[in-house]
Amino acid sequence: MGYDPANPMADRITDIGPPHYEQFFPPVVKKNYGKWLYHEIIQPGVLMHKGESGDECYTVRVGCARLISIELIREICDIADAHCDGFVRWTTRNNVEFMVDSKAKVQPLMDDLKSRGNKFPVGGTGASVSNCVHTQGWIHCHTPATDASGVVKAVMDELFDYFTSHKLPAQVRVALACCLNMCGAVHASDIAILGIHRKPPMIDHDAITGLCELPLAISSCPLGAVKPATVKNSAGEDIKSVKVNAERCMFCGNCYTMCPAMPLADPDGDGIAILVGGKVSNSRSMPMFSKLVIPFLPNTPPRWPETVAAVKNILETYAKDARKYERVGEWAARIGWEKFFEKTGIPFTIKSVDDYRLAYDTWRTTTQFKFTSHIK
Amino acid sequence: MPKHDTPLLDELEKGPWPSFVTDLKRQAEKKPECFDILGQLELSFKDKITHWKHGGIVGVFGYGGGIVGRYSDVPERFPGVAHFHTVRLNQPSSKFYSSAKLRDICNLWEKYGSGMTNMHGSTGDLVLLGTTTPNLEPLFYELTHDLNQDLGGSGSNLRTPECCLGRARCEWGCYDTQDLCHTLTMHYQDEIHRPAFPYKFKFKFSGCPNDCVAAIARSDFAVIGTWRDDIRIDQAAVKGYITGEFAPNAGAHSGKDWGKFDIKKEVLDLCPTECMWMEGDTLKIDNSECTRCMHCINVMPRALRPGKQQGATICVGAKAPILDGAQFATMTIPFIEVKKNEDGEFAEVVEVIEKIWDWWMEVGKNRERVGETIMRVGLPTFLKVMEVTPAPQHVKEPRSNPYVFWQADEVEGGWDRDVKEFRKRNAQ
Amino acid sequence: MALSKDELKAAILEKAMTAPKPQLYVKDFYACDPDAKPRDVKNAANDLVKEGKMDFWSSGSTTMYAAKGRAKDEEHR
Repeated sequence: MGYDPANPMADRITDIGPPHYEQFFPPVVKKNYGKWLYHEIIQPGVLMHKGESGDECYTVRVGCARLISIELIREICDIADAHCDGFVRWTTRNNVEFMVDSKAKVQPLMDDLKSRGNKFPVGGTGASVSNCVHTQGWIHCHTPATDASGVVKAVMDELFDYFTSHKLPAQVRVALACCLNMCGAVHASDIAILGIHRKPPMIDHDAITGLCELPLAISSCPLGAVKPATVKNSAGEDIKSVKVNAERCMFCGNCYTMCPAMPLADPDGDGIAILVGGKVSNSRSMPMFSKLVIPFLPNTPPRWPETVAAVKNILETYAKDARKYERVGEWAARIGWEKFFEKTGIPFTIKSVDDYRLAYDTWRTTTQFKFTSHIK
Repeated sequence: MPKHDTPLLDELEKGPWPSFVTDLKRQAEKKPECFDILGQLELSFKDKITHWKHGGIVGVFGYGGGIVGRYSDVPERFPGVAHFHTVRLNQPSSKFYSSAKLRDICNLWEKYGSGMTNMHGSTGDLVLLGTTTPNLEPLFYELTHDLNQDLGGSGSNLRTPECCLGRARCEWGCYDTQDLCHTLTMHYQDEIHRPAFPYKFKFKFSGCPNDCVAAIARSDFAVIGTWRDDIRIDQAAVKGYITGEFAPNAGAHSGKDWGKFDIKKEVLDLCPTECMWMEGDTLKIDNSECTRCMHCINVMPRALRPGKQQGATICVGAKAPILDGAQFATMTIPFIEVKKNEDGEFAEVVEVIEKIWDWWMEVGKNRERVGETIMRVGLPTFLKVMEVTPAPQHVKEPRSNPYVFWQADEVEGGWDRDVKEFRKRNAQ
Repeated sequence: MALSKDELKAAILEKAMTAPKPQLYVKDFYACDPDAKPRDVKNAANDLVKEGKMDFWSSGSTTMYAAKGRAKDEEHR
């Protein structure tokens, strides 16, 4: 049978959902489901989980781009077939995990991975920089302020040594979102790389009538900066369009999402902001938001040297100064953010002082602070 | 489709991290439209701007989610990517695969798409990147008929639910995250595939407060495993850590010499509630003071385990910054047993979800996440909607302003008064 | 008194065909029957899509409804 274009609704199947997860479990996982006792990281990238039964599951974690080809997936399948009974999994952070049921099978698997060039770096466990989660960027998105895969490749090349080792005070989660929409939520990451726009939208009065519903464009603005207006198009006709109060624009791009006749992306306007000190885990301290420490770095493809250097500087200053177990945000909170700026050498600018909603929460309302070089 | 010169992208073939450029070039040998992906991306690297446009009505018939339309704004230069729609496949819970299943997906995508994927998208879907409108229906037909798979969510739908790997390979799963994720995914197929809400709604399921899927930061409905009895202690293993027989934090710090393990400095003093102490070489915990942060368990996984009376805390309303600013999910249901009934449904969890939905569908504004609705009407109103008894656990601290919105029926005599009677006693 | 499902669908379709703006949020249809539950309105609107009388229109993050042929679309411009 198969699909019949003349009769597309014939035998239609809908709403069957994903396949049941259990059929994809390696035997050692299926047998010990819910009966795991403890785990150890026997070397960077290699975990051992011990079951109540005495069984052991060895996991080799490898870094992987988020953007991958079916050729690479097939190669991953070949590895899974050769070593792991044909099973494999992906982690939330785009790592690939190969699991085997005895220690003896680990080295042959590692040798195989190593024989394939730099495609499968082992690491991302414990006090490391794990894989950098990210969004689409210029490869597939219509609203980005920067690329994603390219920036991440450049950053991970530079931090590679921290991916394959355990020498940091705690795990460091680096994440990238290519615009403020954050379809990849980076707002609770140790180091967040965020694409930002800095020019208000242009208005294409010749296209807006055919392209947009004006009420949707107007209501999309969180700050009411988009207003209805009657203007002349390039043919000299009066048409209903919109105007933008540029002084109120927060460069979020919501209007462009609802109305493609309001493009705001720009080669010079767009770039990257760096936010620091977020965490998701409830361990020790409560979950924390990342805080804006560098308001703007330019887009400099292909390797974004300014962004790479900024991330590395923050990471290495933290690595040198923080206590064992301390996440980036816990370290900055302990030493104080004035010390964070002093130690990292990042210039403090007024852009880090909040003037959006709920801003007061971040203003200092105590006489307690440290005298750093900022106080002249 | 010809090969394009890509001098800028070629720079990203250098360095130790796996190169997506090398991978794309390899794929282009079989799927020449990948040359146009590379060509258009090279142009973006040169122009420092995207060359994609959004497209609105694209989808498979009857579904309001799962496909995101995408078009090139330079199609005459890169015809291979003129249409380049995204297909979101609902991933199996916690992303275990067999090679047979993955090969089937690869074959399907070789036939109908560009050969490029995201493993996985931010919400958890297996994302297939780049196909044309005419390919969508045949792809969907084979996906459902031959692969027994389905699309995930997008738009104002329930988004594809996601969970941590939980009990499959972790000793800390306080409830069965995969079972809950899969069961609710099946229960809410209609809401995943067709719009239902003022805006997107996300479920995420983490087995313990380490929250490996970041539920508390990015899901409207976060179910996070916890326990309410005592942390289980193996005192012999505690001694093993003290003597150095076992590496602390499961060996997570093996790359640097942090000195000998010091249980006071590394565990007792870092406990946020200071509820642990040593009596000789015995570890004591005042469990009534414990807030279940996981630090001690993370540091000594062979010695400490979550208690046996396990369940979950439900937090509601997390989201990224757009529009009002980022929000973490607010603790709403302190403890719920996550159990299936005889019909195979997680009825109590479903009841909580539908209470939120029934209210939010009515009260939520267009493009307003539930966390923003709660922010707008206030947590007290939301707790009333949820029929939850307010408790000190719902706040970090009591309010510091006195502006309580009293109701007439809470005040003796109500609000109806006679100003003339008032004037008889109190002259103007 | 809530409308029957068929009456509700007819009212939704009427609104989708005559409203000044072609794309409508599901909430825009709530007024078609103030007595109906939001979920019933949503189900009725989704039924009309299944019947081919309305289309979904998606920005990627938001989904709206439009009477067949009324919404603006890249391929049909």
